[in-house]
Amino acid sequence: MSEFLNMGGYAAYVWPSYGLTLGVIALNIVWARRLLARSREDARRRLTMRGEET
Amino acid sequence: MAWTWFHRLGSPPYIYGLAARLTPWFAWCAALTILGGLYGGLVLAPADYQQGDDFRIIYVHAPSAWMSLMVYSTMAISAGVGLIWRIKVSHAVAAACAPIGASFTFVALVTGSLWGYRMWGTYWEWDPRLTSELILLFLYLGYMGLRSAMDDMQRADRASAVLAVVGVVNVPIIHYSVLWWNSLHQAPSVMQLAKPTMPGSMLIPLLMMLFGFTVLFVALLLVRLRAEILNRERAASWIREAVTS
Repeated sequence: MSEFLNMGGYAAYVWPSYGLTLGVIALNIVWARRLLARSREDARRRLTMRGEET
Repeated sequence: MAWTWFHRLGSPPYIYGLAARLTPWFAWCAALTILGGLYGGLVLAPADYQQGDDFRIIYVHAPSAWMSLMVYSTMAISAGVGLIWRIKVSHAVAAACAPIGASFTFVALVTGSLWGYRMWGTYWEWDPRLTSELILLFLYLGYMGLRSAMDDMQRADRASAVLAVVGVVNVPIIHYSVLWWNSLHQAPSVMQLAKPTMPGSMLIPLLMMLFGFTVLFVALLLVRLRAEILNRERAASWIREAVTS
């Protein structure tokens, strides 16, 4: 296991690369979901505002 | 009759519903292939005879670099279609692409830098491949900056589309930079028409990662596309059903 984590002496380069990539994937998922939730919320608010006017 | 499917692709409510239905399929497919590719790349693939375990960075670097180019091409084509045929959904696709592409361009640059440090002895060099990839990041950021600077969605769509289309000249420059100029960066070993120069145990995880990232892009694009469509269809009557369900 420690041999695996050591990555033949390249651990300081391999693991940050994987960490950054997986982190950016996770962020992309969070950002996309948050953007959609916000857009749905905005659309809903616009609909209720228009509903109150009429 | 044969053209009805094509017209439906330009219809916001149809695309909104289709995107919602397709997202889980692409998301799960991406999760499974990326997990499989990670296991194959980190555990099953043997260490490279010259680069040792450092070469394993390829499994995150190459797919990210592929994303940077593929997403930009998708963005430029959709922006071009939006400009020519004035299709709103097309502009929405282009706008949805940019943040995804920018983030993976950043990943490609940083992982490449980490890989290059031990192999080339430097984190950064003003080399044709590295410089053109950095310009790609600036194109994405410029595109996003231009969009956010304009309040009117239609104007933002058209102005940013011009930038996206003009910037597409950089895509073949990046791809061929390692062949046209004397570059530190290696020539393609997978993306070539002849046989890839890699054994199967190393190649299969890489192909899984490339496929997984591509499917992940589609899943992310579909979610962002729905948001972009909602922001463009302010007055449409179908919105009520879409956001209350």
